[in-house]
Amino acid sequence: MLAAINVGEILAIGALGLLAIVALAVSAFLVAGLFQARSLIRREFSAYFLSPIAYVVLVVFLAVTGRLFYLALEQLTTDGPYGIEYPMRSMLGDERFWLVFLFIPPLLTMRLFAEERSTGTLEMLMTAPLRDWQVVLSKYLACFAFYVVLWLPTLIYLPVLQSSHPPIMHADAWTANSILMVAGLALVVLGLLLLLPALNTNARALNLILLAAGIACTAVGGRLHYHRDAVHLLEIPVGLDPMPVLSSYLGLALAGAMFLAVGILVSSLVRSQMVAALLSLVISLVFILAAFWRPNMDTGSSTYQVLYFFSVPLHFSEDFSRGLVDTRHLALYASVAVFCLFLTVRSLESRRWR
Amino acid sequence: MISVRSLTKYYGDYAAVRNVSFDVPGGTVVGFLGPNGAGKSTTMRILAGYLTATSGQATIDGLDVFWEPVEVRRRIGYMPENCPLYPEMRVKEYLQFRAGLKGLHGGEARKRVAYVIERCWLNEVPRQLIGTLSKGYRQRVGLADTLIADPPVLILDEPTAGLDPAQIRETRTLIRDLGKEHTILLSTHILSEVEKLKCDQVIIINRGEVAAAGSMEELAQRSGRKSLEDVFMRIVEREEAVVV
Repeated sequence: MLAAINVGEILAIGALGLLAIVALAVSAFLVAGLFQARSLIRREFSAYFLSPIAYVVLVVFLAVTGRLFYLALEQLTTDGPYGIEYPMRSMLGDERFWLVFLFIPPLLTMRLFAEERSTGTLEMLMTAPLRDWQVVLSKYLACFAFYVVLWLPTLIYLPVLQSSHPPIMHADAWTANSILMVAGLALVVLGLLLLLPALNTNARALNLILLAAGIACTAVGGRLHYHRDAVHLLEIPVGLDPMPVLSSYLGLALAGAMFLAVGILVSSLVRSQMVAALLSLVISLVFILAAFWRPNMDTGSSTYQVLYFFSVPLHFSEDFSRGLVDTRHLALYASVAVFCLFLTVRSLESRRWR
Repeated sequence: MISVRSLTKYYGDYAAVRNVSFDVPGGTVVGFLGPNGAGKSTTMRILAGYLTATSGQATIDGLDVFWEPVEVRRRIGYMPENCPLYPEMRVKEYLQFRAGLKGLHGGEARKRVAYVIERCWLNEVPRQLIGTLSKGYRQRVGLADTLIADPPVLILDEPTAGLDPAQIRETRTLIRDLGKEHTILLSTHILSEVEKLKCDQVIIINRGEVAAAGSMEELAQRSGRKSLEDVFMRIVEREEAVVV
């Protein structure tokens, strides 16, 4: 038995374990720091809804995705030999979508630091007892939360697709796993409701732990219930493969994180909001234009290989919209985002040394 | 409480603050006097932790401003010139936000916000948008913000800048009142301010250097002049240092 496990495997597992512990420690540290700065996160998030730009962005974005959804639906329900194999691809692989999406992260992030610098409120923020990384990450988190709010209304497209096949609830499917999942969901709802009233620090910490526990229970219970139980609590006869939807949302979350990070970096470097928006637009263009530059490019050539690596629309039309989660793409998004956030913190720090 | 030793700040080749040393004992109100561009704001920004000095040392309540910045900022209430605020927020909202930044949450924050609204005479405007307030009210919101965590030290940069005479009088009363419980370092270029505020000590700064320091009577005595204005004009025009 022992001969079957070689040293290489043990080392690899050990290294991964170590990495996991380090990652856990770092995230715990970040979460604790962001918890301290929760007042800033709340204010930055609500500040979005106090300015007209957010509403304009929401309306335009939903109009464009709605139109694309309509086109995809048309293709799905058409008679005859037409049709589409990957409906998500017609929504997310389309140039129309990406040319609109190009504008959104710059518009969302342009005010984050540039406005504070021009009005002088950055001084107030930097003389508060918060560290620079707490300020940057709080603004980033609020921005990302708004980005999630931007995409939430698209969840309604899923029930619309189910309307011809209503979901079936099985009352006799109560097992340990399904009870765990439902209990987890109840905790999540309770946790979200408790976010609304004002609580003291201990209560708020408990609230967030409750939310996290609820999410964990739902995830674990749901997965066990789905795979191990014969009869499911809720059966959704899908005429649509749900996996491309999930992979698309995952890709969008991380791609959005990357573009928003680029935007916040540019915003921290310039004083004018307009310049920040335009500059982050130009930088985002590098990631988006490559896909549309020459549509008849030889896909076997090495130029294409290089362009494919960082052209985000190709990631979506080739991989994410077909249910393929390519970790190379996720690694690109995550690493660019982390790098840009790191540079933003440094840029903020450098302000103290001027 | 505040101790500054040989503080120097260079912006490139330009020395904004040069070898400035002074002390602000606890419980006193000290006026930082000087013409525009003398280095008052720079010194205050260094004390508040917004800038770092090129050389020198500054300590507040025994903590070094450079080595323990977050701890120092917890003990300071800083109000910069022009009192920057968020115009789209309401007064009470803003104060609760600042309380959260300074580590006060929940019931404690609500109590302190109510207290500072009362103290800074903001009772009529808690639900008003800051962008619609007059300069006087905005200054009061800024002062309320400095008080919210009950810091031992208040650093106010030109607290009466741009106010009309009635508002100036009200702000002065407030500052005099606060001076009984907090250590206050305030800067101004209006000489009558310093006299009317009954500052325990006056530090005159010119071209980045401390030209005079001491109480008003001491300064008048030493220089043989009667009023603070004469002392000030003499220092600024003829660049004589009257060091006490």
